[in-house]
Amino acid sequence: MRIAVLRPQVPFARGGAEIFTDELVDELRARGHEADLVSVPFKWYPGTRVLTQAFLWRMLDLEEADGGRIDIVIGTKFPSYVVRHPEKRVWLVHQFRQAYELDGTDLGQFGSSPEDRALRRQVQDLDRIALGEATRLFATSANVAGRLERSIGLHAEVLPHPPQALPYRTAPSQGFVLSASRLDRAKRIDLLLEAAATQPGFDVVVASDGPDRERLEAVARDRGLDGRVRFEGRVSAERLAELYATCSSVFYAPVDEDFGMGPYEAFLSGKPVITTTDAGGPLDVVHDRRTGLVVAPEAAAIGKAAAWLREHDDEAAALGTAGKALADEVTWDRAIARLLS
Amino acid sequence: MKVAYFSPVPPEASGIADYSALLLPALREHVDVEVVKRGAKRPPRGVDLAVYHIGNNPEAHGWILDALRRTPGLVVLHDFVLHHLVAGVTIGRRDGHGYLDAMEREHGVVGRLLAHGVLDKRLPPLWEARPEDFPLTGEVLSLANGLIVHSHFVEERARGAGFEGPLARVPHPAWPVPDLPSADIAGGPLFGAFGNVNQSKRVPQLLEAFARVRDDHPDARLLLVGATSPGFDLDRRLQRLGLGGDGIVREGFVDERRLWALMAACDVHVSLRSPTMGETSGTAIRALSLGKPLVVSDVGWFAELPEGVALRVAVGAQEIDDLTAALRLLAERPDARAAMGVAARHLATTEHDLSRVAAGQAAAFERVAGGPAVADAVLREVSEAAGAVGIGAGSAEASEIARRLSEVDLGD
Repeated sequence: MRIAVLRPQVPFARGGAEIFTDELVDELRARGHEADLVSVPFKWYPGTRVLTQAFLWRMLDLEEADGGRIDIVIGTKFPSYVVRHPEKRVWLVHQFRQAYELDGTDLGQFGSSPEDRALRRQVQDLDRIALGEATRLFATSANVAGRLERSIGLHAEVLPHPPQALPYRTAPSQGFVLSASRLDRAKRIDLLLEAAATQPGFDVVVASDGPDRERLEAVARDRGLDGRVRFEGRVSAERLAELYATCSSVFYAPVDEDFGMGPYEAFLSGKPVITTTDAGGPLDVVHDRRTGLVVAPEAAAIGKAAAWLREHDDEAAALGTAGKALADEVTWDRAIARLLS
Repeated sequence: MKVAYFSPVPPEASGIADYSALLLPALREHVDVEVVKRGAKRPPRGVDLAVYHIGNNPEAHGWILDALRRTPGLVVLHDFVLHHLVAGVTIGRRDGHGYLDAMEREHGVVGRLLAHGVLDKRLPPLWEARPEDFPLTGEVLSLANGLIVHSHFVEERARGAGFEGPLARVPHPAWPVPDLPSADIAGGPLFGAFGNVNQSKRVPQLLEAFARVRDDHPDARLLLVGATSPGFDLDRRLQRLGLGGDGIVREGFVDERRLWALMAACDVHVSLRSPTMGETSGTAIRALSLGKPLVVSDVGWFAELPEGVALRVAVGAQEIDDLTAALRLLAERPDARAAMGVAARHLATTEHDLSRVAAGQAAAFERVAGGPAVADAVLREVSEAAGAVGIGAGSAEASEIARRLSEVDLGD
């Protein structure tokens, strides 16, 4: 089949959704499909730009390309699914969260003016129409599906996807806690830094980059964590796999996350995950004392969990092994079979 | 966002006053609401939106219609048929010409002639005889820049009447059940009918059906609560049907506490209506909160109650037979009553959940208050971009852009 995978692109930014869609195209091709990525730049501010940029997708004609029919389009995150196509499937990574659960928080975008309030509602209406057109609607996690149902009343089937392809392996712990989440506020890396400040029993490696890096480095300095926290920036696949393999645990505690590949990557490396009770999507697979530790979103609780895992190698390995059994179940073969069924 | 709220409120005795008393605290969790004093002609300064609660009762809503005429805004349309309201603010204010004009505006010359007949007392009042044929909703719809309705029934009629603005269907909120003991009234089972005792509540049909049911269920009782409408001879009807004695329990108008106590005592609630003005029944909503099975007329909002919650009885030739069958079924099947009660309660706590209803209303407020500015800004940017690449107004490309915008509700 000819399949177009749709992805909005924020120029110069790359995160989980970009990795996911790249791999989806590769995996579709590996199964004999003619697949390609269709990407349109996205900027969501100021004012109504969020709608006019979304509308660009509506003007695309993806029913055929280069004289050949496109059999299926697969929308992923807002606003790629605004596209029109008789066989539009959506594998929802997330909606425009500023218009939903982030509204009214520090991470929100819309103010209290009537225009901003109406703009937010218009984004919701756009979602209701565009997602309602989908012939099949999947969500990457129960959290994403739940938000969709609560916000606009649409039901999505939960379909997790495998994490990025890395040379995963398991090796003895070198005692550090790894964070590989993109450095932005929503990922709450500062909680881990504060935890390290309260608990001397572990070091931290941060293997990623992002707009919050400078602030986080300042937090580490201010807390006297020099020598205990290492910011490695974005690292190669080989290096990332090595860090996963040799850490004692992986910290992954964003606010109400959509899905998050972090836990799956940790599990495939046989490592337990520390997350928080308000993390959202990760809680689909991080189960307290079964595949990791789920604690209150407080530095002291996170510090205690990290120290405990560092001091209990056998128990940590058992949690990681249980997580690996879960992660092994999530394969591209299964996911693509459902997606195209 | 600040909203001016035009509605009857307690202590005014009206169903919509009760509705607003229930809704306002929940609504204030979403928007800044200023309740406008009765009689005010305009919304206070500094509000972003005026919200007008319009129902068919001229006493309760005449002043609100007056204010709407001065300052258009969002209308919460509680009844689709507004003939009684329009008659009240025209004939009731000695403005016969206003009534003639209203009838002509919506029903042409025939309407004007009929209105003359009413004014000359050659025809019975249309608001009593044929209100559903002459709803007189047009003026309110033309003044509304947004609409909230409670039912598909009203939504369809508003659209059918040509209303093209934003419309939200937000169900009537359900009351929490007060912590009160049930009234001590027994029955095997006890049927209850609440509201004015008259023809439009189908009381004659109910009495006939109940009399038949009582022939084989002598312990069944019917609780009739509400004032008897003028001209409705209840006693004579009861006598003719042999329903004297203890088969009927009668209470007149009761206060809210007594209402809940009486409703709680019933095994089955009967809520019949014809004609309907498109209203939602506050007592039927209370029955849902209490988890009581319902028997309703198959009209208007009542017909939209799920089958598992209410047995629906068509109005017409078979009405008494069907009503008898429904009452018999519920008299003989306590298991069905229980299952319907559970479904009723579920409906009250989901679709009619107060916080959900308030959120739905607030969303509608936001869409109406800021929506036009958003639509203008989107259209401006899209048309500027189109113009910059040479797509002119009226071209095929411009038509396609307009069509795509309309598909996703971003413009016409």
